[in-house]
Amino acid sequence: MWTLLAMAWRNVRRNRRRTLITLAAMVVGVGAVIAVRGVLNGLQAGIIRTSAEGQLGALQVHRAGYLDNILSTPLTMDFPVEPALLDRLRDVQGVRAVSPRIQFAGSIAKSVPAEEELPEALFFTALAVDPKTEPAVCPLRKDAYLDGTRFDDAHLVLGSALAESLAAKVDDEVVLLAPDKDGSLNGEVARVGGSMHALLPGEPKVAVVPLALAQRLLRMEGRATELAVAVDDLRDIDAVKPRLAEALGPEWEVHTWLEVVPERQLIMRLQDGVSAIVSVVFLVLMLLGVANTTLMAVLERTREVGTMLSLGLTRAQVMALFLLEALVLGALGATGGLLLASGFVARFAHGGLQFRAPGATQPFDVLPFLTLPFTLVVLAVAVLGSVLFALYPARRASRLRPVEALAGR
Amino acid sequence: MAFIELKDIKKTYQLGKTQVPALKGVDLQVERGEFTVVMGPSGSGKTTLLNIIGLLDRADEGSSYRLDGEELGGRDFNEMAGLRNRKIGFIFQSFNLIPVLNVVENVEFPCLLRKEDRGILRKRVLTLAGDVGLEPYLHHKPDELSGGQRQRVAIARALATQPEIVLADEPTANLDSVTSEQILDLMQRLNESRGVTFLFSTHDPRIMKRARRVVRLADGKLVEGNGNGSSGAELPGQASAALEAR
Repeated sequence: MWTLLAMAWRNVRRNRRRTLITLAAMVVGVGAVIAVRGVLNGLQAGIIRTSAEGQLGALQVHRAGYLDNILSTPLTMDFPVEPALLDRLRDVQGVRAVSPRIQFAGSIAKSVPAEEELPEALFFTALAVDPKTEPAVCPLRKDAYLDGTRFDDAHLVLGSALAESLAAKVDDEVVLLAPDKDGSLNGEVARVGGSMHALLPGEPKVAVVPLALAQRLLRMEGRATELAVAVDDLRDIDAVKPRLAEALGPEWEVHTWLEVVPERQLIMRLQDGVSAIVSVVFLVLMLLGVANTTLMAVLERTREVGTMLSLGLTRAQVMALFLLEALVLGALGATGGLLLASGFVARFAHGGLQFRAPGATQPFDVLPFLTLPFTLVVLAVAVLGSVLFALYPARRASRLRPVEALAGR
Repeated sequence: MAFIELKDIKKTYQLGKTQVPALKGVDLQVERGEFTVVMGPSGSGKTTLLNIIGLLDRADEGSSYRLDGEELGGRDFNEMAGLRNRKIGFIFQSFNLIPVLNVVENVEFPCLLRKEDRGILRKRVLTLAGDVGLEPYLHHKPDELSGGQRQRVAIARALATQPEIVLADEPTANLDSVTSEQILDLMQRLNESRGVTFLFSTHDPRIMKRARRVVRLADGKLVEGNGNGSSGAELPGQASAALEAR
């Protein structure tokens, strides 16, 4: 076998130009498949982190039925934020932090001196969060804030699109109007603390409002509609979710962030699906190149095969020789591709690749990274696939009749 | 019992819808240690006969081929490959060396297919390479050698497996006259010193002169030198005279 392997190695080096062309195709193919997956890994990790730690919280707890009714009567499914309730959640294994919230809709207008004409009020959706406890649940939220933005019990943060529409600047006074759960319209005055970018697609006219202000506005003092929960490790949310549900009982519903925004899961699945199809096409084209190279080698070396058969090589040994050549090509191509992809990923692993989601007002950094299972599968497909795709030409060589092969037929 | 015993060897090729008979019933016996030449015009069936003796091709049904008393008809491909490897050495007109292997590797290549002690094998191969005058070229690749040197490598390779018979198909056809003489000297010396049976197909009158026995094929039949090698042997002189008269 070692003799055949040594011969295979030398045969691969024999027609250098052809080998280099085949290898180039393999290196680019394997490299692109691994690198594209690395970029997708970074993109999806960004979506997950931004969603779970910058917007939604890893898990959300609501009164049972809340999500089904979110468009009709969200405020009616409120609950008192009692320390005992928060403690019950915090005691669940894997839970890192809990923060109460209220989601509501209303209208907002810039406050102007009495003698001026009233400005137009804009419809907006608000997320009311507690400035003290929210950062533990969504530590990345502040990354979307523009420099100098303040968020506290007196200041709210406007989405950049909303701030632009209102022509509101920092420290401007704004008036919020919103119906409470009985339908009565109430108003509150607040100051603009700054504005924030949207990193992911969503409603453009949004604001982050201090919880206490929202509670006053909606006449919901001491109450909330949502508890956002942070977990120790995002990968464990599917394990933490049933524990939370069990600790809370049937009057409550617990959702992972993906269940709250299923379209993001759909987008990521779509990315996975498209990248898988493109990867398969790339790899098959590359492996057809290996099959072609092996077939050319067999056709060129028919007399040599005849000589080897006449010297007593078995059909299996002839087949093994050509399969080993494909194996050597596959291994070299896979190694080259891995180096290329690793180089690319290393180059951008600490920034430099930016992605702007449709509807987002600010791109976010994609930090590509490789995962061992996917990388190993691609390398195995490249190496073993090369052998598999060389089976036909190798078998053809091994089936040659010695007399005809010696005559070059 | 003769070392090689062919009885009623027939071989017909199918070319499209046409059947072309190459051998029409050849009987031939070759004794161990003979230096025998098969001669005949192009298309007379020399190469087909050597291919059948070398187990590279099969004779038609009804033919009988015994090598060292063993009937070889009906063997499968791998059994024939094993027999070729153990018992038969080949020397080709175009040398047929493996281009990616150097001289030593080419010579030992057929032996590597067996489970043989590498050290012993290397020693034997080096001795053999010395015997055929290749010592200065042991690590040269075939494309770095002259035609004569390449054929020396092929001869050493044919002998490396310690075969019982060496088949040589026109071994001097691609060599100049001086080199041909050297190669013939070498093969004759090896035949005498090692007792290996040599069977040639050739047009070369110089080989005829050296042969202890010449058999002649015409139109797929043996027309001279038929039968047992010792009793039916022709004198070299007669053979060359016959050839030169053509």
